[in-house]
Amino acid sequence: MAFPFHRIRFLALADRSAEVLASVLVFALGFGAAVASAAEPPAPDAAAGRAAYEQSCARCHGALGAGDGVDAKRFYPRPRDLTMGVYKFRTTTSGTPPTDEDLFHIIAQGLPGTNMPDWQYLDEATRWQIVYYLKSLSPIFEQTQPEPVQLSADPGRHADLTRGRAVYETLKCASCHGAQGRANGTSAAGLVDDWGKRIRPADLTLRWNYRGGATPRDIVTRVMAGIDGAGMPSYAGAVTTEDAWQLAYYVASLQQPDHVFRNLPARVLDGTLPSTLEDPRWKDAEQADLRMRNAVTADGEWVAPATVNQVSVQAVYNHEAVALKLTWHDPAENADGDALAVAFKPSGVQGDVITLQAWPQRGQPPLDLCVWHAGGSAYETVAADPTAALAGQTAQAPLTAAAAYADGEWQLVLQRPLAPSGPAGAAPLVPGTLTSIALMVWDRSNPEGRAVSAWLDIDLGALQTHAAH
Amino acid sequence: MTRDHRIWTLFAAVLVALGCGSKPENATAEPATAPAAAPSGAAAGTASISGTVKFNGTAPQATPVSMAADPACQQKHTAPVLTEDVVVGAGGGLQHVFVYVKSGLSGAFPAPATPVVLDQAGCWYTPHVFGIQTNQPLEIVNSDATLHNVNAKPVANAPFNIAQPVQGMKTTKKFAKPELNVKFKCNVHPWMRAIGHVVESPYFAVSGPDGAFTITGVPAGTYTLEAVHEKYGAQTQQVTVGDGQAQSVSFSFSGS
Repeated sequence: MAFPFHRIRFLALADRSAEVLASVLVFALGFGAAVASAAEPPAPDAAAGRAAYEQSCARCHGALGAGDGVDAKRFYPRPRDLTMGVYKFRTTTSGTPPTDEDLFHIIAQGLPGTNMPDWQYLDEATRWQIVYYLKSLSPIFEQTQPEPVQLSADPGRHADLTRGRAVYETLKCASCHGAQGRANGTSAAGLVDDWGKRIRPADLTLRWNYRGGATPRDIVTRVMAGIDGAGMPSYAGAVTTEDAWQLAYYVASLQQPDHVFRNLPARVLDGTLPSTLEDPRWKDAEQADLRMRNAVTADGEWVAPATVNQVSVQAVYNHEAVALKLTWHDPAENADGDALAVAFKPSGVQGDVITLQAWPQRGQPPLDLCVWHAGGSAYETVAADPTAALAGQTAQAPLTAAAAYADGEWQLVLQRPLAPSGPAGAAPLVPGTLTSIALMVWDRSNPEGRAVSAWLDIDLGALQTHAAH
Repeated sequence: MTRDHRIWTLFAAVLVALGCGSKPENATAEPATAPAAAPSGAAAGTASISGTVKFNGTAPQATPVSMAADPACQQKHTAPVLTEDVVVGAGGGLQHVFVYVKSGLSGAFPAPATPVVLDQAGCWYTPHVFGIQTNQPLEIVNSDATLHNVNAKPVANAPFNIAQPVQGMKTTKKFAKPELNVKFKCNVHPWMRAIGHVVESPYFAVSGPDGAFTITGVPAGTYTLEAVHEKYGAQTQQVTVGDGQAQSVSFSFSGS
């Protein structure tokens, strides 16, 4: 099941109050169906719970709840092994099980940014039966009582971000999450979850990366409860809840606004295109954020966590070429292996192109790729598989590129002619039409990963003909 | 007050608040090889059981641990730090074997108030293996100036994963049920490993670098003694002691 990419144009506003207003509206609209159950929970009915689980849950979570369902290996984050009684997103202290309401909430709301969908279409009684069924899968619910985390009052607009930053430093969150929250802490690469599999810390700049929710209340609950099963410990006993609230507001302030576009408008420029990252004209170019997923690399193996979660794209063009500025987080700078490729729809192909998650695939046309290597080379090539494209086994036409890495973030500017003279098969881009691009990113420190995006349409508006000056 | 001054006052207040509430502790950790204090109430004895745990065969090479993930850890060590899952001394003695009286005792053994101390120093757990009585406090100390989280994964007891970001922080935990092989790890420093064994009586010891162990204060009786190693499993032996007697027992584990 693919992540449901937004299909609405959303104006990216840097103004925080606009975001708060939007959140309030979404919350208000969703309140009736969301959060708390309106009616009394029904009496447990084991048969109904089992039947509902088999119908809705077993495909991912497995017939016996061991997290080994048919689809499980393709998903990251992995479907929960429900038999261990370890639940990540709770409002209870570390080591105690979730409350019934915690379980109901996860089923009702899903986990945004993962493959766990919301189950709003199931009526509440059915969701409660699934809750009771889940509790029967592990003895921890009988051994230990849930202990709700105690929180002090929400400081709201009196939150002090400077104090929150100080708490971030005292609690040494940067060890895993990085100094700027980009998931590039020194310990990030070695993290292993309770099931012995690799796991990554959340990129705190990406709201959708917070599996348990991204509001300050969600964040402070995670800090005090810990995320059992993952590497995130509980800070109860190490910080007061007042300071934890300040920390939560600071962490929320690291979140970047979402820029989700159906079509990314490219900005037309007079004169030469920017070839540097610092060119002031980038400020006026719209930005689209593409979410990345790890392409499955080994057959039958559990997919590894991606280390590149999202790439931001800006586009400007003139009558000769298009320039793209790409920004993404990568935990380590590897001059010998970090790379990015911009795929264009091949020349002459009508309709949809293969999704990059399924590429390469026999019988599909080769893709037109603009490839950049951190080692310095950048070129356009037409290739049928990523290895050939990266290794330079196909004909190349050099491209202009500039890149820099700082504290967990790569930035890249790439220029491509509108009508390339080579290599054979390179697609001409025609202003006045939509151009489709998709991205592939390699992080050398994550050899199991090749992060890929969905296709994005870039709108190159028709060029005005200029009278000669 | 300037804004900065307020921050530092608050910071200091947080540290003071964290520091208050833990008793002043003497710096040396209670050595795991020493026998626990004899309990009050139940019949304290005068016998002792001691011996050596030997290792047969070629010991696997201990591998050096890379602490590159945290420079604060690397700086604490001048020599390479080796893995501790199999430690064999020069005379063939096997270290870190937990030896305890498994059965044959009668009566209750109230938990001592003195805690067992698990220290994190130089990004390493000390001791690597320890014994503790049910409901005896375990005091976990962060002696490092870096973040450690204590991720304990018992099965019969409640697991926990708690953060200790501040140097000198102490957290006290108790285990209500007897359980062997409770694993402790740190997610921030994945090479760190400790193992706790929760038992009902104070009659236990952990073998030292020469494989030697001593359990004192044992009441007269016939017992099953069990020796547990994290890699080579468990072995039992019967032992009978009379009052004032010192009985010798040895165990031998084979590595292939």
